Amino acid sequence: MATDYWASSHHRRWIVDRHTLNNARAEDLEYATHEQLALLGVFFATVISKLGKRLGLRQRAIATSVVFFRRFYLKNSYCDTDPFLVLTACCYLASKAEETPVHLKTAIVEARSLFTGEDYNLKQFPSDNSKLAEMEFYLLDDLECDLTVYHPYRTLLAMCGKDNPPVPEDDAEAGELGKPQHDGPRYWGTGIGKLDLEEGAIQMAWFVVNDTYRSDLCLLYPPHLIAVASIFFALTLHPSSRSAVDSSLAFSSSHPPSNAGGRASHGQPKRSTVVRTGDELILFLAGLNVSMPLIASIIHEIIAMYSLWNRMSEGRADWAPQSSMQRKGKSNTSPIKQDDLVTPVALTQFVLEMRERKERDVAHPPSAKPTAINKVLERTQAAG
Amino acid sequence: MQPPTTLPSASRKAESTSTARVDEPANLNSKDLYQIVSQVGEGTFGKVYKARNVISGMNVALKKIRMEQERDGFPVTAMREIKLLQSLQHNNVIRLYEMMVSQGQVHMVFQYMDHDLTGVLGQSQFTFSDANLKSLCRQMLAGLAYLHHKGVIHRDIKGSNILINNRGELKLADFGLARFFNKRRRTDYTNRVITLWYRPPELLLGGTVYGPEVDMWSAGCIMLELFTKKPVFQGADEINQLDVLYKILGTPTSQIWPGVTDMPWYELVRPKEVLRNRFREMFNKWLSPCGLDLAEGLLTYDPAKRLTAADALKSPYFMIEKPEEQMPQGLSSLEGEWHEFEHKREREKKKKKRAEGGAPQ
Repeated sequence: MATDYWASSHHRRWIVDRHTLNNARAEDLEYATHEQLALLGVFFATVISKLGKRLGLRQRAIATSVVFFRRFYLKNSYCDTDPFLVLTACCYLASKAEETPVHLKTAIVEARSLFTGEDYNLKQFPSDNSKLAEMEFYLLDDLECDLTVYHPYRTLLAMCGKDNPPVPEDDAEAGELGKPQHDGPRYWGTGIGKLDLEEGAIQMAWFVVNDTYRSDLCLLYPPHLIAVASIFFALTLHPSSRSAVDSSLAFSSSHPPSNAGGRASHGQPKRSTVVRTGDELILFLAGLNVSMPLIASIIHEIIAMYSLWNRMSEGRADWAPQSSMQRKGKSNTSPIKQDDLVTPVALTQFVLEMRERKERDVAHPPSAKPTAINKVLERTQAAG
Repeated sequence: MQPPTTLPSASRKAESTSTARVDEPANLNSKDLYQIVSQVGEGTFGKVYKARNVISGMNVALKKIRMEQERDGFPVTAMREIKLLQSLQHNNVIRLYEMMVSQGQVHMVFQYMDHDLTGVLGQSQFTFSDANLKSLCRQMLAGLAYLHHKGVIHRDIKGSNILINNRGELKLADFGLARFFNKRRRTDYTNRVITLWYRPPELLLGGTVYGPEVDMWSAGCIMLELFTKKPVFQGADEINQLDVLYKILGTPTSQIWPGVTDMPWYELVRPKEVLRNRFREMFNKWLSPCGLDLAEGLLTYDPAKRLTAADALKSPYFMIEKPEEQMPQGLSSLEGEWHEFEHKREREKKKKKRAEGGAPQ
């Protein structure tokens, strides 16, 4: 069936490796460090989310906008484009692709008022429709009209057995492409059914998924792995889930964990006791048929993203557990540099300067530099 | 079936980076890759051309997406169609090979089909046997069953959107009005869909909460049309369309269609007189007994009782009754290609001639 993830363009064409990603950054790296680019990555995701909210987009459409944005910059560079116009086009296109269309005029008016306001203090932003329509067209071209994007949200809910009941924000994925038709219960890995998470923990995993869009994870890993990693975060960050896991870990160090066969029989009574299904949570994750080393690297990337994000003066996740991540993150990052970029205005200024410097270099080339940076991506895509 | 190797964008990319470059990479797309042969149709939002891939020699259908609506950029309907088609793959659903973006225009590249249903039913060279008609009917229902299983309502099933090739294969096309529906919860949609003659009574009565049953009504209309060779319910406008239905199928009552009196526009278009159902006596000269049963099941007034595509495929017409279906492979001997578009153009030409000859200005 062509509607599943594995047969999709998302899987076949738009998951790249780190090497390809670095190659795509080659031109920008002449004007910024890796770290600065990563900061910009966080920054633009925040801007997209802000604009998306102004346009009344659902979380899902915002996520799609970010993915469009990241895909576009696999083939282009910040210093050659106007990222603010690009991200506006991403939001506009995603609003249509996700069946919650906004008007062209609305998009440009909202974007203009947001960007030229004091938050970003952008001096120039087009005010006529045709500029955005034109940008949308380039975007479509570079996206190769692949408009179906898969997100971790669905896997997350499916794993928690929440395919249909009320879900925060994302009011059902009506009109979603390739919505899987479940014809029966699903089984994961060892055949143990569904994950029984507290509502608060699910919510938390959901927020972690939202946050992953501030990194390049959506280009590097398939969405279901990101969902698993976010469940891991929820188990570590959500107080009562964590204590359940902790207590069964402490227990199992002296007693071997109960095996899967036994669990099914005593799963029911256990649920009503104070010790919530800690064993089950651990066994569920352990039983998933996914690569744990991959999950571990995703978790590392998420931690790195949080520590980076913490250096920005606005838009930080203000939910409590984050600070615990922060401490962990900070210990292994270098001390804040002097030219640290913190405020949105400073970051906006920085992007503009990148472009100015690039333009100057084009006018007065210091050396003839080859510009073939997309070849690796193209080859990867062709091979896929 | 695999598309010709030069088509997918990935391979086009590979060519443009390869060392054996034929030309500048920018020139390798669109205009040079496809040569337009003729116009074959007018879709919901753009013209359709027959074109030839100059490298593989294979024919494709190019659908140009109209971008003149500058006010809202790339049309949502086109976007919906692209997303839908990219996620569908079935023998009885048209295949979208790729998208082509160049020089300010976007084209959808489809597999080429020689005819459409309206076109082949209107020609007189080739006569379909009952076994052929059964095959066409089953292929249409199989396509619909697949769409509905995937959660898609087509919303514009009609003769010119049902394509047929010379091998006798039938494929549903033009997803410009199609959309995903929610299987668990019924939601409001626009009721200004489906070409009038194929529009089900619940839409004519103002219903906006509907599901895949709307396609099944259209399928019933098409099934009759296969045998009679022309559209059966030819109303002049919305109100007249209901009258046409009533004359053949009788006036609906709350007994056969509970809830009909609650339909939004029921009071406005309340039938003046009670008519009885004359369906069987009108069509028994065309259809076999099991065929009549199936058509009647599809043309059930009450959407809740209407046959689903999956049920229709299991009906005695396909499972028991003779003759067994046979693909109309004889179509390959047919001269020319038959689309509604050409018929229309012929008609218009004649009309023009008449007008010019009769009363100049």
